[in-house]
Amino acid sequence: MRKYILLRCFYSIITLWLLVTIIFAMVRLTGDPVKMKGDVGADKAYLERIRHDWGLDQPLYRQYTSYIGNLLLGDFGHSFEKSLPVRTIYLERLPNSLKLGLAAFVISMVLGVPLGMLSALRVNTWWDNVGKTIALLGLSMPGFFVGLVLIIVFGVQLGWLPVLGKGTSAFIWSNPSTWVPFWFKDWSHLAMPAFALGWYFSGAMLRITRSGMLDVLGSDYIKLVRLKGVPEQVVIAKHALKNSLIPVLTLAGLNLLVMVNVAVVIEVIFNWPGVGQLLYDGLSNRDFPMVQGVVLMSGLMIVLLNFVIDVLYGFVDPRIRLSR
Amino acid sequence: MRKGILVLVPVLILVSAPAWEKLLAATAKPTPILSGPLAKLDIKDAAIETARGKPKGKLTIAQHFALDPGWLDPLEHSYVLTQQHYDYLVHDAMIKPMPQGEFTYSLAEHAEMTADFTKAAFRLRSGLKFHDGHPLTTQDVKWTYENYKGVNFKLFHDKLQRIEMMDDRTIIFHFKEPFVEFLDLYNGGLSGIGWIVAGHYYKKVGRDGFKANPMGAGPYKFVSQEAGVQMVFEAWEEYWRRSPGVKTIVVKGITDLTTRMAGLQTGELDLAYGMTGKLLPRLMADRNLRWDPNFTGPWWLMFPGYNEAESQFHDKRVRQAVSLAINRQFLVKQETQGIGIPWGNWVNQENRDALRGDGKDLPVPEYNPEKAKQLLAQAGFPNGFDFEWYVPFVPYFDMGERILADLRAVGIRGKLQVLEGPGFRAKMAQGRKGYPGNRTIVQNVGPRPGGAKAEIGVYAVCGGSASFVCEPPIEKLWAKHQASVDLGERDRLIKAIQRILIEEYYFVPIYLNPFVHAVGPRVLPEGKGFHRYWDTLHAPYPWPWEIWEVKD
Repeated sequence: MRKYILLRCFYSIITLWLLVTIIFAMVRLTGDPVKMKGDVGADKAYLERIRHDWGLDQPLYRQYTSYIGNLLLGDFGHSFEKSLPVRTIYLERLPNSLKLGLAAFVISMVLGVPLGMLSALRVNTWWDNVGKTIALLGLSMPGFFVGLVLIIVFGVQLGWLPVLGKGTSAFIWSNPSTWVPFWFKDWSHLAMPAFALGWYFSGAMLRITRSGMLDVLGSDYIKLVRLKGVPEQVVIAKHALKNSLIPVLTLAGLNLLVMVNVAVVIEVIFNWPGVGQLLYDGLSNRDFPMVQGVVLMSGLMIVLLNFVIDVLYGFVDPRIRLSR
Repeated sequence: MRKGILVLVPVLILVSAPAWEKLLAATAKPTPILSGPLAKLDIKDAAIETARGKPKGKLTIAQHFALDPGWLDPLEHSYVLTQQHYDYLVHDAMIKPMPQGEFTYSLAEHAEMTADFTKAAFRLRSGLKFHDGHPLTTQDVKWTYENYKGVNFKLFHDKLQRIEMMDDRTIIFHFKEPFVEFLDLYNGGLSGIGWIVAGHYYKKVGRDGFKANPMGAGPYKFVSQEAGVQMVFEAWEEYWRRSPGVKTIVVKGITDLTTRMAGLQTGELDLAYGMTGKLLPRLMADRNLRWDPNFTGPWWLMFPGYNEAESQFHDKRVRQAVSLAINRQFLVKQETQGIGIPWGNWVNQENRDALRGDGKDLPVPEYNPEKAKQLLAQAGFPNGFDFEWYVPFVPYFDMGERILADLRAVGIRGKLQVLEGPGFRAKMAQGRKGYPGNRTIVQNVGPRPGGAKAEIGVYAVCGGSASFVCEPPIEKLWAKHQASVDLGERDRLIKAIQRILIEEYYFVPIYLNPFVHAVGPRVLPEGKGFHRYWDTLHAPYPWPWEIWEVKD
């Protein structure tokens, strides 16, 4: 098992190194950020000074080695566009993205899983049709459309909910007293963006839960349990649901990562200060360190999640660790 | 009765003594600093309002960009005009554009330049201090000059011979050679070097620390920020000019127009920038909202590579046909709900050395598609011609489509090249070199402080950093301008260059662009009085901030 974990660890590091190298090269294909910062009419000396400050006057190999060296020390570099260390800005935004992502995740699960189950249990009935319609709407109505409708109805027309930002709550890493209240404050600000984001994913959750449940409910072991006379509620809760949730949970995990890291459109519409907007701003402004930093952190989350899943698989199913 | 009067007179004299002192100080002729003949400077006096109530209320502003903490540091001032939004909040300049004039005394109460432009002297107001209570002296002025690394920093450092500090309030800059543009460039409207930074604080917190937590001598103290998202400022009641009207100013970076509009309608925002576009009719129809047209400068067209013989735009008649083909009135109606003004010059109308394009100095361009067709035929294109690309200013793609339709109607056929913002800006910064070939039309708008000469120096001379025009007659006038120390002559030369650019159709102006700003119902005064916030010349944003007032 130890060898298996070490091997997984090695693969994860290689994956991250590849990611870092690819993103380092890709952002440099987008053009020269100095010209953007300088704007039209910038004097040559000023542009040279910026180029030097940003380390872009160095040969590419030296930029790369110094980038990797700094990364190993936990330094992601300075944002070209926001003029502060990328790590500081990213860590300031991450809790906001986690808050939005988790809330949207809960909404997608609360809407998608029970409705999917209901659809499967009442297949080809009125309930099933409602479920399928909701799934279709969830998948076909993009988050920005739902977001704008919510803003117009609940923000502008009814005036029930604020439309801008995350409110006054802040998660300050150096101040532990803010860590807990942050999650429980400003729900009125969170409601619309979380619903708009969660709504889209709830459609996918609904469909996968429904099909998973239908597969399991049609299987031989469920028939056997029913023949044994086990009450229907127990059949569903204990035997069917557990097994049908395996693909649901796999998808849910991936969805959560997407919701946390790339909720760009929702963040822009609701002016939610998350990491998705950072990536968007970074790409729009050729902010190399910012793009590299955000992509690396997203990649790190995915690699870590996969690493944990791989290790858990290894524990659960010895055949997996023996086969690698 | 007589006794009463006898008692009252000395009391009145005693009570009004401070006011008299101020009045005398204001009217007294300042003691000269420099000897010898001096240049005539047109610097307006600051309007000081001492008796004010307490600041009250909160003003929430939506900036249409993500916020850059770097904007809080004048030492690294960029070309981005938006940075001045924050200069005017947290910092203060020696002289700066104000509603009174383009050059208005601020930290300095008196300035002089020798007639040969080799020395400039300033006297600071008495009792100036930074937000931390530390006195602001000539030491800080010197430190800022010496440590400045923003736009034109090399020019300032290369020209400087030495800085002489006469005392805590009087400073003289000695230059190696005539520095005619000094006052233009030192003015707060053009670069960061005139915005005075507290050296003691900067050295203590460092470069990043200053951007994260800046401190200055402006009307507002910095409170907090979330990089890119929000900045909070609080009124500094000891500001020398007056106590600010608003207690708290919150600036949010909101890139999406729909979100800004919704924020105004829900009352979460009080002031939003960049409201021109598809939502403008909705803004104009909303009874709770008010808007200011905020003309920033004219749109104009350029023809990269026109001076190469094989270019279709080489012939002046073709360029004139382009101008005649554009229905500016219709464009203004479609793009700006009729707010824009068809204009005959490409230089910002607020520049003192700009020719007006409303018929006063230069005619409003004519719309005459028939004449355009005739000119094309005379130029050898009776059936019109195909050019390669029409490159619209990002993101004004609809406007580009409309102009292309007008051109197509007279036989000038091209395709729209849609670029993303960074790509467009990077190409534009290279001038003609950014556009290979010679069959392209580029659309631009470029409000630039520093006068028409700054615009010409960038776009219209051979050595310009974004040069699109390189013509011997213009070069001759430009060289004469650069060598001249006679301000009157310089002004005449710059106007002559503008006339050539328009009369030869090197640049084709379209209309004055309104960069509409909107305010919500909390902004005071109610009614139309709020337009006064946009009175500062060359200001794309409504500064100074200390005069703003909102309902509590």
